[in-house]
Amino acid sequence: MANTLKEAPRLEPLPRIASAAIIEDGRYLPPPADGDGQTWVRTSTLIQSTPEECYRLWRDLPNVPRWQELMKEVRVTGPNTSHWVMEVNGKTMEWDSEILKDEPGKRIAWRSTGGSPQNAGEVIFDTAAGGRGTIVTILQEFGFGRVSSATATVLSRNPKQAVIENLRHFKALVETGEIPTIQGQSHGPRGVSGKLKASLYGEHVPTPRGDLQRAS
Amino acid sequence: MKAVCWMGKNKLETLQVPDPKILNPHDAILQITRTAICGSDLHLFDGFIPTMESGDILGHEFMGIVEETGPEVKNLKRGDRVVVPFTIACGNCLFCQKQLWSACDNTNPNAHLMETMYGYSGSGLFGYSHMMGGYAGGQAQYVRVPFANVGPLKIESDLPDEKVLFLSDIFPTGYMAAENADIKEGDTVAVWGCGPVGLFAIASAFLLGAGRVIAIDRFPERLAFARGIGAVTIDYTQPDVSVLTAIKDLTGGIGPDGAIDCVGLESHFNDLQGVYDKIKTALFMETDRPGVLRQAIQAVRKGGTLSIPGVYGGMLDKVPFGAAFGKGINMKMGQTHMHRYMKPLLERIEKGQIDPSTLISHRITLDQAPEMYKVWRDKKERVTKIVIDPWATKVA
Repeated sequence: MANTLKEAPRLEPLPRIASAAIIEDGRYLPPPADGDGQTWVRTSTLIQSTPEECYRLWRDLPNVPRWQELMKEVRVTGPNTSHWVMEVNGKTMEWDSEILKDEPGKRIAWRSTGGSPQNAGEVIFDTAAGGRGTIVTILQEFGFGRVSSATATVLSRNPKQAVIENLRHFKALVETGEIPTIQGQSHGPRGVSGKLKASLYGEHVPTPRGDLQRAS
Repeated sequence: MKAVCWMGKNKLETLQVPDPKILNPHDAILQITRTAICGSDLHLFDGFIPTMESGDILGHEFMGIVEETGPEVKNLKRGDRVVVPFTIACGNCLFCQKQLWSACDNTNPNAHLMETMYGYSGSGLFGYSHMMGGYAGGQAQYVRVPFANVGPLKIESDLPDEKVLFLSDIFPTGYMAAENADIKEGDTVAVWGCGPVGLFAIASAFLLGAGRVIAIDRFPERLAFARGIGAVTIDYTQPDVSVLTAIKDLTGGIGPDGAIDCVGLESHFNDLQGVYDKIKTALFMETDRPGVLRQAIQAVRKGGTLSIPGVYGGMLDKVPFGAAFGKGINMKMGQTHMHRYMKPLLERIEKGQIDPSTLISHRITLDQAPEMYKVWRDKKERVTKIVIDPWATKVA
């Protein structure tokens, strides 16, 4: 149809499949809805870098705490396995993770193999149309339902929001070499209402340190 | 250090707070030499902008001397004199590459708050609510400047601070407002609001070739200022004056080619619509009072351009969109893409084409700032622009 309206053919071939199978023969189709009651999130961002460069930073597991919130340590335990340690409100959470699919510059899929929180996910690096850099898409599922998700929201960060924020931090780190923050800046007395608002806005979750980790 | 802190609606205090520190590799710390109160700060004072936290340091118009730089700031060194744009930009994202600096993707640590309200987040701003980043502002003795590798403009000539300070916001904002009105040689442009941004918009409209500028306000000192730079003025509070009729009288019935709303969300009307907006905003059924926007849409000519530098925040009622469509008008608006304008406008100041310091009516200390917010808000003492010397202990 598009071609019937134009004399010149399209410059780029029509994509058949995109990040999360959302374009098929030119039609947008949402990924299958999440019906199993588990906490599920899909998010994407545009990064001014190559898929290879984005993949390289994402795959650099020991450096993940530089850009993922509350992540204390990621230890590589084998060619496709790793051990993750998170600290939430002084409480340590640990799990093992296994990479199921590893396509350099394209895609990484993983699942946890023990510990908590149980999670599985996929990150996809796609060249954006028109030379606009890389579209990074995450699909992630956590092995808990609404109640645990709500509890986490009150105590620290909503798990879905955490995935979204981590992708935002990742983008900032790739594009600028740092993660923006206002934590530690000057201010007057916050009082009860100020502290409550700061907590509501998610400002109590420590910003990952970005490249400063490397400097210190 | 001393800083002007927002402690609640209508409640400001100048307090001792900790000095700022370098927090990220592209940060710099400035010792502030001059800072100003912006008309848009009055929206914060009046409690119209959500997501303020008590203790927030206000101020987004400032300049100073570089005191310290982070490890990745290579373009500045201690002792440099700089003016800082009020929008913070990373320089590397798609939007910065397109010179849409105030739409930067990477500088708002609270981007999710703005995404919830606006769909996408704009850049971080100094001292302008947590939705806009929550960065500490510059009505203080020192300030932390993030992405100092991108924003600050070095002043290498010996121009006094007061001549270049307004490159931090109001001069580029007034200039972009005029540019957004798409002015062609000989055009007629109407400007609502003759505060500092309005006056800069008028001056910029002439710089861009406007043949006639019509200025609308109600304060004699502002209208006198507008006439001083060449505008024809309309005092809408005078008996028998209808702005729409006056504009038709002055344009041969066709309306202005460009209309610029330098008022924004707290417009004042004493008629029925003014009462309507006052009641609805008081009941939280409307967030903004868009009287000027309605009038400007009505006034602008067919196929004309409406430029909106005045700040709007939320949900607006009874905006005559049918009139906008029916006349086929263009609309351009938004936070100023500061980094585009600072250098060319500095050159205009250096060449003597414009002297922004003539706007200043009051020079004060940090301790006087809370009181002066009130004076300006209530339009007393013929205020046109208030500049603060953060190190002064008494008025110069």
